[in-house]
Amino acid sequence: MASFELIEPQSVEEALVALDSDDPAVRPMGGGTALMLMMKAQLFAPTRLVSLRGIGGGFSGFSLSGDGETFCIGAMTTFSELEQSVEIARHLPVITQTMKTLANVRVRNVATVGGNLAHGDPHLDLPPVWTTLGARVRIIGQSGERVIPVEELFVGYYETSLEPGELIAQVLVPVRPDWRSFYAKVTTRAEHDWPALGLAVSVLPEGERIADVSIVLSAAVDRPTRLVNAENVLRGSVLCDEVLTRAGEAAVAETDIETDNRGSSAYKKQLLRVHLGRAIRKVMGA
Amino acid sequence: MSTTRTIRFTLNGRAVAADVAAGETIVDMLTLRFDLKGARESCGQGLCGCCTVTVDGMAVSGCLSMAWFLDGTSVETIEGIGTGGALDPVQEAFIEAGAFQCGFCTPGFIMMVRQLLDAHPDPDDEEVRHYLTGNLCRCSAYPEILTAVKLAAAKRKKLAA
Repeated sequence: MASFELIEPQSVEEALVALDSDDPAVRPMGGGTALMLMMKAQLFAPTRLVSLRGIGGGFSGFSLSGDGETFCIGAMTTFSELEQSVEIARHLPVITQTMKTLANVRVRNVATVGGNLAHGDPHLDLPPVWTTLGARVRIIGQSGERVIPVEELFVGYYETSLEPGELIAQVLVPVRPDWRSFYAKVTTRAEHDWPALGLAVSVLPEGERIADVSIVLSAAVDRPTRLVNAENVLRGSVLCDEVLTRAGEAAVAETDIETDNRGSSAYKKQLLRVHLGRAIRKVMGA
Repeated sequence: MSTTRTIRFTLNGRAVAADVAAGETIVDMLTLRFDLKGARESCGQGLCGCCTVTVDGMAVSGCLSMAWFLDGTSVETIEGIGTGGALDPVQEAFIEAGAFQCGFCTPGFIMMVRQLLDAHPDPDDEEVRHYLTGNLCRCSAYPEILTAVKLAAAKRKKLAA
């Protein structure tokens, strides 16, 4: 590995100064898991890495807002911290559920919420889950801060809308006690493998009726993608086989699923039809 | 330019220092600077667990973690477990259950099983399988490893009683 500079700023301001460069090989670093993999594979050779582990502030820790309506999660929070939190299990149980099949204990001990989002890898498990939960990200840069929905963070394959020098500071997740969410990690080899498709769904049930719904597909597409047409089929409908079949067809029709080493396009489309129906049944308690 | 630094940390109970480069992995540092070869790089991607060490009591993949950040921490490797020449109960259990063939993955498994038993002192099969999903044994000694975990749990309980 070629020699590079490693800086450990102690505040957000110091970090922003260290990242202020026209050199694309100057990058921030969270837990460093994804970066180390890219560096070892010689896909990325940094000139300077800026570690965010010492900057504190809103970047670390997580808590419920005073009004109880939003969970604010610092970007440097590790997956293990979320996995082991009683508060997360109570307010965002789908996060606890997702951790069960996300990588392994050692990776979860190190990987961070912010680094995971900034990586822009469409195969990751949490981005579709944050999206279906209606989460937003707070982004800090030299020119101030902005808050955008998680889905607007992703613009393509490993591509985000973050400007050079901008940092994800927090993920803001609305607490919606009446909604139910589920993440289906659909793998074609081992259970903990990278998914052939990731399907995150949330519903607002009203008895047998789906009052509102959010469906996000990942892994099989170039970025976490809302399946708007499938949502429109389900929204307002009473749960039944016919509606789920139509939703599955709408989902397949509105996505561009390509063949890769986890399955052919036709196979993954069938997985989407089947697993969308199962996921909706599951969150509807049917 | 901070491309190298001196780190001071505790390694298996002993205060040590090392000059490391940015990007140097923990497993490279242990092998090349401390002649400790129990943590090995195998897959190099954090998937197989052969390089497992603990940093301040938390398991990490030594092949993906930079030695740079060890400053001020306490690191434990397979060479540091057990007390006064006696094997750790998990090591004893692996031997008694014959939970290995070639032995390459064994140090990593033993380090992870210690973590597993700290978190779940009396794990069921499902908990063991889930917790050890990031450890691969290419000789496929998995049934014996499962037996060893149960045996180690019993040994630990006996020691604690």
